[in-house]
Amino acid sequence: MTILGEYALWIALPVAIWGMALGFTGGRTQRGDLVLSAERSIYAVFFLLVLASAGIVAAFLGDKFEYLYVAGYSNREMEFFYKVTGLWAGQRGSLLFWALILSFFSSICVFQNRKKHREFMPYVAAVLQTVLAFFLIVLLFADVNPFERMAFTPANGRGLNPQLQNYWMTIHPPTLYLGFTAFTIPFAFAVAALLNGRLDARWIQLTRRWILVSWLFLSVGIIFGMQWAYRELGWGGYWFWDPVENASLLPWLTATAFLHSIQIQEKRGMLKVWNMSLVLLTFLLTIFATFLTRSGLIESVHSFAEDLKIAFIFLGFLGSVLAGCVVLILYRLPKLRSENRIESFVSRESAFLFNNLLFLGAAFAVFWGTIFPLVAEGVTGQKISVGPPFFEKVNFPIGLALLTLAGVGPVIAWRRATKRNLQKNFQIPIGVGLLVALTLWVMGARHGLALVTWSICAFVVTVIATEFWKGTRARARIKGEGYAVALYHLVTRNRRRWGGYIVHVAMVMIYFGFAGAAYNVDVRKHMLPGDQLEVVSPFGHTYTLTYEGLSVSIGKGQRNLLWQAIATVSVEKDGVRQDFLTTEKRQYVTSAQLMTEVGVASTIQEDLYLILAALDDVDGVIAADSQAQGIDLQVLVKPFVSWIWFGGLMLALGTIIALWPNADPRRAAVRPEPEPEAEATPAPAMAGAAD
Amino acid sequence: MTLLLGSALVSAAVLLFILQPVVKGLHASLDRQEDELTDTEARKRVALLALRDVEYDFLAGKLDEVDYRSLKAELTAEALAALEADEESRGTVASDQDDDLEAEITSMRASLRGGLACAGCGFENEEGSRFCSACGQDLPVGAVG
Repeated sequence: MTILGEYALWIALPVAIWGMALGFTGGRTQRGDLVLSAERSIYAVFFLLVLASAGIVAAFLGDKFEYLYVAGYSNREMEFFYKVTGLWAGQRGSLLFWALILSFFSSICVFQNRKKHREFMPYVAAVLQTVLAFFLIVLLFADVNPFERMAFTPANGRGLNPQLQNYWMTIHPPTLYLGFTAFTIPFAFAVAALLNGRLDARWIQLTRRWILVSWLFLSVGIIFGMQWAYRELGWGGYWFWDPVENASLLPWLTATAFLHSIQIQEKRGMLKVWNMSLVLLTFLLTIFATFLTRSGLIESVHSFAEDLKIAFIFLGFLGSVLAGCVVLILYRLPKLRSENRIESFVSRESAFLFNNLLFLGAAFAVFWGTIFPLVAEGVTGQKISVGPPFFEKVNFPIGLALLTLAGVGPVIAWRRATKRNLQKNFQIPIGVGLLVALTLWVMGARHGLALVTWSICAFVVTVIATEFWKGTRARARIKGEGYAVALYHLVTRNRRRWGGYIVHVAMVMIYFGFAGAAYNVDVRKHMLPGDQLEVVSPFGHTYTLTYEGLSVSIGKGQRNLLWQAIATVSVEKDGVRQDFLTTEKRQYVTSAQLMTEVGVASTIQEDLYLILAALDDVDGVIAADSQAQGIDLQVLVKPFVSWIWFGGLMLALGTIIALWPNADPRRAAVRPEPEPEAEATPAPAMAGAAD
Repeated sequence: MTLLLGSALVSAAVLLFILQPVVKGLHASLDRQEDELTDTEARKRVALLALRDVEYDFLAGKLDEVDYRSLKAELTAEALAALEADEESRGTVASDQDDDLEAEITSMRASLRGGLACAGCGFENEEGSRFCSACGQDLPVGAVG
């Protein structure tokens, strides 16, 4: 099975190259037979990659340690679940897995469009096969072949890195990959549009759902990664501006910019070159993210790569795609002229444009901060690290400006908004924002940045709630429906608009949680059994923590565990008994370093987060010496952290609403359902209604 | 042996599958399908949608009366042009029966053609006006009658 898989990988490459060549030629010469063959080659590559992946999984399940990859990421004792997910546990497997998902999406795309949008499909197939061929070349020729065998067969494998043996870690990478690879489809359509010269908004409308799917997986993947860092890494945070975290954030930033700017192209026929550039940039950044993660160029918790050959192949591909697309855009420049121009600085168009500039600004800052250490090392030979302070300094103001726009955008009028209208629309929300800031100030909150953030959050929520309220009320009045029914119809009639607003609310929740970090409490104390520690929450209540003692268990080789020391802490909140919390130190076979498991008690208000920071006497602990019970306990109180995770759920909900298929796909593709107000009332009556 | 057979089988199947169209001359269509939206139709939809947005913005209090009227006149003219381009490309009159918006457009088109909208500022004037109520410009004679 495994050998068959290896063989399948080898034939997938010529098939992909065949498809690429025939797709381009078929599109140029308009020969249907060549195009059909190219499209079939996409299904064929998918089939072959399924075989190859099955081969790897079979090798994991069969404990075939003669394969370097299997020996590196599995051992006999590992659970079935982690053996299956071993497919994407390391660099080699995850590159194969990436190619597998891409070919899966490509097949769906070709199948969906077997009878539609035919004028795009030859080039779409060709572009998809080009990207697939690239990944196959990497797999086969960059010393990362997951099927590479060793000269001997070790008795057992090394096993999976214990930090990766975690629920979040098994779903975080595939989710991100789904997001990264799904973006290849809009990119393929964009290139197809450049090649066949149909440069109106159609390629965007055709790929709108793909863009949203990609964005959904990217967002959710990033949030899963934050969860993993928060629960597993044991330092008490969810984001550290680590190069690999940044790598996943970069395409998210440009994809978000793209999601907004395409609306201007659809509505007003503007920003065509800009959108082309954004789709290209986002695609390049998804490849760059893989490159950064999988080349080992930057040392970080995530990087586990072996040599630099792969780096040159990646850079070569990135360079040629960039060059090719720039040439195509320049060639098509006359067809990419704007049909309109921005009429007023105070309008929704300019709000969108401003939003785009901010997203791009943030992306540039993150990009520069991520690669600067590399450039500096290349020039000066010294390794410099760019830490969180840089990213925070740059991104906090940008982030707040973007949050503000999330409230301004939905209300400001297209084309031009007048002063009087701005006043009318923003008076109340600004008032609410200021009131919230004032109330918090009176209640004793003094952290400037947090106050500003919460105040803007209140502003945005007021704006969006008002939009929902106005829409529902109007619909209820006109249609004579109850409010719940009216709200339901309002949302289902224009899912895209209201789904988008829900995502804005989700972002507010996430920011709300971020700002809570300003009030983090962090206490560290040396403790012996029976010792108590009092920690005052920023909300005023007091936690009394009693260290009950350390229990040690010696592992039986399961999941590579040698031993674990579990500290039990009893918790009282203002004298009321709560559940026990435990925090652990673990020693695994695979790593000399001790791992920390944190104990978290989460409420909507705050998280109580315990870290077993240090053991007094490690040897004594292992020997179960009753005197070796002294520990350093670190206690964090983190306000509003759970809001970030709820925000993530809300974001998924809003995006799913926005991409839910409408009843009639043909209409839905181009024209969202009309607004209920406009639909029900003829124009003259409307003027009256508003007076 | 089984392995060899398996590999041979896989490659044969793949080859057959991707070469069949070229050898047998099976063609995939490369043209736009009948039931797909045409460029002009898509343009028309977008123009109509923009018109709706202005209505919505006005109703939601985002636009004041003067802006609303001038914007609406501009957009109506755009929608009209798109509509006519679409009709021309199809050679028939648009027949989206269910669309009250189409009816709206048709009435606007009549008023535009009747010269009620001012050519200078786009303001929609009352029937029978001789001068534009917004900018004072002369209106075409047709408007008087």
